[in-house]
Amino acid sequence: MSTTQPETRQPEATRQLSRTVDDGNRLTRAGRGKKSAVYLVLVFFALLYVFPFFIQVATSFKTNADAVNNPLSLIPDPFTTAAFERLAETDYPTWFRNSVVVTLLVTAGRVFFVSLAGYALARLKFRGREALFTAVLAVLAVPGIVLLIPKFLILNYLGIYNTFPALFVPLLVDAAGVFIMKQFFETIPPSVEEAARIDGAGTFRIFWSVVLPMAKPALITITILSFQGSWNELGHFIIAANDPALFTLTRGVGQLTSGGLGSGSQFPISMAAALLMTIPTAMVFIVFQRFFTQGANVGAEKG
Amino acid sequence: MPQKSRRTRLGLVLAGSLVLAACGGGGFEEDTGDGSTAPASAEGPVELQMLIASSGDAETAAVQEAVDAWSEETGNSVTVTVASDMNQQLAQGFASGNPADVFYMDAGRFADYAQNGSLYAYADQLEDNDDFYESLRQAFTYDGTQYCAPKDFSSLALVINTASWEAAGLTEADVPTTWDELTEVAQTLTTDDQAGLGIGIGIDRLGAFVVQNGGWWLNEEATEPTAAIPEVEEALGYVQEQVQAGSFQMSNQLDAGWGGEAFGTERAAMTIEGNWIKGAMSNDYPNVEYIVAELPEGPAGKGTLTFTQCWGIAADSDAQAQAVELVRALTTVDQQMAFAEAFGVMPSRTSAADPYREQFPEDAAFIAGGEYGHGPINAPGMEQVVADLNSKLENFEQANLPTVLSEFDTNAAAALGQ
Amino acid sequence: MAEREVPTSEPPAPRSRSPKGKGNSHNLSGWLFTTPMILGLGLFLFIPILMAIWVSVSDWTGRGSPFSSDVGFVGAENYAALLTEEGLSRQDFMISLRNTFYYVLGVVPVQTMLALFLAVVVNQKFLKGRTFFRTAFYFPSVVSSVAISLVFLYLFTGTGAINRVLASVGIVGPNWLQDPRGVIHIIGDAVGIWSIDSPPAALVETSVMSLSIWEWFRGPSIALSAIMIQVIWTTAGTFMLLFLAALQDLPSEVEEAAMVDGANRWQRFRNVTVPHLRPTILLVITLGIIGTWQVFDQMYVMTQGGPAKTTLTPAYLSYVAAFRQQQWGQGAAMAFILFALIFVLTSLQRWVLRDKDEAARKKGIRAQRRAARKAQRAEASS
Repeated sequence: MSTTQPETRQPEATRQLSRTVDDGNRLTRAGRGKKSAVYLVLVFFALLYVFPFFIQVATSFKTNADAVNNPLSLIPDPFTTAAFERLAETDYPTWFRNSVVVTLLVTAGRVFFVSLAGYALARLKFRGREALFTAVLAVLAVPGIVLLIPKFLILNYLGIYNTFPALFVPLLVDAAGVFIMKQFFETIPPSVEEAARIDGAGTFRIFWSVVLPMAKPALITITILSFQGSWNELGHFIIAANDPALFTLTRGVGQLTSGGLGSGSQFPISMAAALLMTIPTAMVFIVFQRFFTQGANVGAEKG
Repeated sequence: MPQKSRRTRLGLVLAGSLVLAACGGGGFEEDTGDGSTAPASAEGPVELQMLIASSGDAETAAVQEAVDAWSEETGNSVTVTVASDMNQQLAQGFASGNPADVFYMDAGRFADYAQNGSLYAYADQLEDNDDFYESLRQAFTYDGTQYCAPKDFSSLALVINTASWEAAGLTEADVPTTWDELTEVAQTLTTDDQAGLGIGIGIDRLGAFVVQNGGWWLNEEATEPTAAIPEVEEALGYVQEQVQAGSFQMSNQLDAGWGGEAFGTERAAMTIEGNWIKGAMSNDYPNVEYIVAELPEGPAGKGTLTFTQCWGIAADSDAQAQAVELVRALTTVDQQMAFAEAFGVMPSRTSAADPYREQFPEDAAFIAGGEYGHGPINAPGMEQVVADLNSKLENFEQANLPTVLSEFDTNAAAALGQ
Repeated sequence: MAEREVPTSEPPAPRSRSPKGKGNSHNLSGWLFTTPMILGLGLFLFIPILMAIWVSVSDWTGRGSPFSSDVGFVGAENYAALLTEEGLSRQDFMISLRNTFYYVLGVVPVQTMLALFLAVVVNQKFLKGRTFFRTAFYFPSVVSSVAISLVFLYLFTGTGAINRVLASVGIVGPNWLQDPRGVIHIIGDAVGIWSIDSPPAALVETSVMSLSIWEWFRGPSIALSAIMIQVIWTTAGTFMLLFLAALQDLPSEVEEAAMVDGANRWQRFRNVTVPHLRPTILLVITLGIIGTWQVFDQMYVMTQGGPAKTTLTPAYLSYVAAFRQQQWGQGAAMAFILFALIFVLTSLQRWVLRDKDEAARKKGIRAQRRAARKAQRAEASS
């Protein structure tokens, strides 16, 4: 699906054409005024969107008094890394490690399981396939937040509540991913597989070494969605464990505000905590930006 | 509740299909029954889990040290876990059937857990149980049974900013001992950017005035709500009047999360807080000088609120005997004094009061509260009702007290009737 | 429960179904390939929901197994406490529904319009640095809601950045997250319809579903409004991308034809762009409704339902009831009522959507083509 999606940049030819129309025939004073207006609006909104992050970075290097007294200043005075040092003394490093491990496991698991199932639903003819797909669509309609209590009950029942597997096992499959992969596999011409089949390759082999490599763009989309989904997940981690050694970043940091640091607001520490957990997201975002924008369309699917 | 004990077909079918479908799971442990006085005792050295709600590194280290000493002596081992959200972590622990063996149990939540059988009642096994303050033992008594040993306690007192006090021309002789005097000094202390008295929101602070006026939210047996009696409304009315006059301000009017923050940032010249304010002041606001006095008397005499936690032991623990041993070791006078030194709590034993007073003379006002303080509301099902009351008192200046209090009575009656 | 339409394109792939009788049916491998999915979704979705249905009709207090013989069946009692019986539980649940209603009513239209606006502006052909702007607007929506909440918790303090900015233009900002006053109450007070301090007795004394009419018409509190602003700021970027993708699908010939007709920009936007975007707009609204009714993270991190319960939402209340107050039955019942509510609302939405698509189909919306293809495929395989 992702490959076939329109590039967010317009084809060069169309752009040229539009430019001719816009710039060539209509380059008037009014046009130029309008352009400045557009830029003005854009810069205003860009400031609105970027400034909170600047404040966040600056504040994480401030003292609490400075943070309280000069909330708008982007220059810490005095400059201090005390907030980061304080964080290093807490369980923050543990949470960070847990988040990384959970995210890696969930992402790897999802990419594999979801493409297996997506392939079967798209290509393999087996009894009950339609019913199974209908069930997947039904599951898509279940709002995630209503599953908090049910998930706690099952984790408890299975005896894995408050263990590390409870953090990632329930997240290993997601219906939206299956749906996306199925849609994608349907766009691959069957002739490719048939050629391989004539060569005597088994079903899994065809899937693994012929079809899957062709699905790279969709796999990247799934990877990004899984990364985002598990790195930013909060609800599931709240109900899956209560041992601080099993907290992820979202759970641990989320509780910093409700007394995790003792009394009083400690803005530099909470800004530093938020900043550090944003950095991996930002890095992945920058590297995979193009795919992010594509993934957003299908990602929004999940609501 | 109709048909309470009868399982229906639906339930059986469901449970049956679950057993099949879940491949014979069974993380839930079966109920072992409550109130059994014979402790479950595991053989040999045991591993105990302890869950604490720590106020900071000092408390964690002190508890760890005490626990290590006990482990060393007895050969058992104890893992101390610091909860970041005690209520939730306890609740999830009990629901999972595998809670910590020993944990801090707050008096405000105690009754709910006692009622549903989560707690092991061991207080009758403690030889010197009478040494704990009577009011604290009462706080951990449900249905006539005291369940657990009070760990320590704290009480509310009046905290005064010395610089503001002197700037307003007040002297030691002016420290208020009655409501009238409190009204007066608060007015004297109030300036454009400082309120005379800053009070944290909710009944955990306002309740002190209610006690001073001879009222309480429930009757003595905690079976009937009594918030509509005149003593309660008058007490709150007195505070509300001062808030409207501007000499008292609630913490949320001062952009503060609690009284200590309003006091530390000097937006209030006085506040009503417990002994925990000492740590916050030395950590966050080291430059603010202050003194502590007992709360002024109300029309019905002295009154304050006490807050306490006990060493809870789980009914589901399979090493209850060892857990009780551990609690014994943690509640000796010496150990309580060590905790007091390390992180500023007050001993729950009357026999430790004198050594404490000697060592911490500046805390006289706090420890005095142990004698006349009133514990939290102690009845099951009341958390939601109290939360509702607190939310209606958040905008205290404009709160319609008669309505709010009668609604509390209605809700509390419903909760207590269940 | 039909699949959700995806506003993305997909070229008509050549469909050559392997002829029957070739003997390459995949009964075994098909089920093998889907086993992990079936296990995952069955074990962590389907069975848990059955368990929670049982809990929602039981009196389990959160101790021991909910399936032990000590736990009794109480029928619809938990649902009744939330819907039909006077009391604190119903009051709180109604408060949470009221809050979320205002929240959805505020967030969904504004985020949709902001997203559309940003998309149209970023889509201007002459624009330089488009990638930068697009990235800036989109980035917040990939960041964890917990991290964003911490930042806004700081920005929204009484003497915080936002109030400093407001002060610089002469506005005295409220103490955002601590202010329980309702926006409708404040407006009415300002216009002189009523006074917040002494509200009209008729409204206060008439009670509907455990809340007075005065309380029902409170509007979102200042605190909830602050969260709404934050959420709009965060999610507008995602929806902007949806609109951008759709805008770039807009055939430029159509636009040029309109230009030749002498239509001005606004007319072109009204008569060409908006009709073209209609399916996307409806999709964005549907997704917005589904997302906003579930709001939880911000309440957990920022307000815990306060001040004065004005940021309680059904999702958060359900969590508190079960995991903190050990009212597991009521907590589960709330979750199912919320589920039903979202389901009804989105079905309603989808029904509206379907209606419009009759017209949209003629315009060649690709998602529809795919749906049609799927229908064919379903027919062919049955």
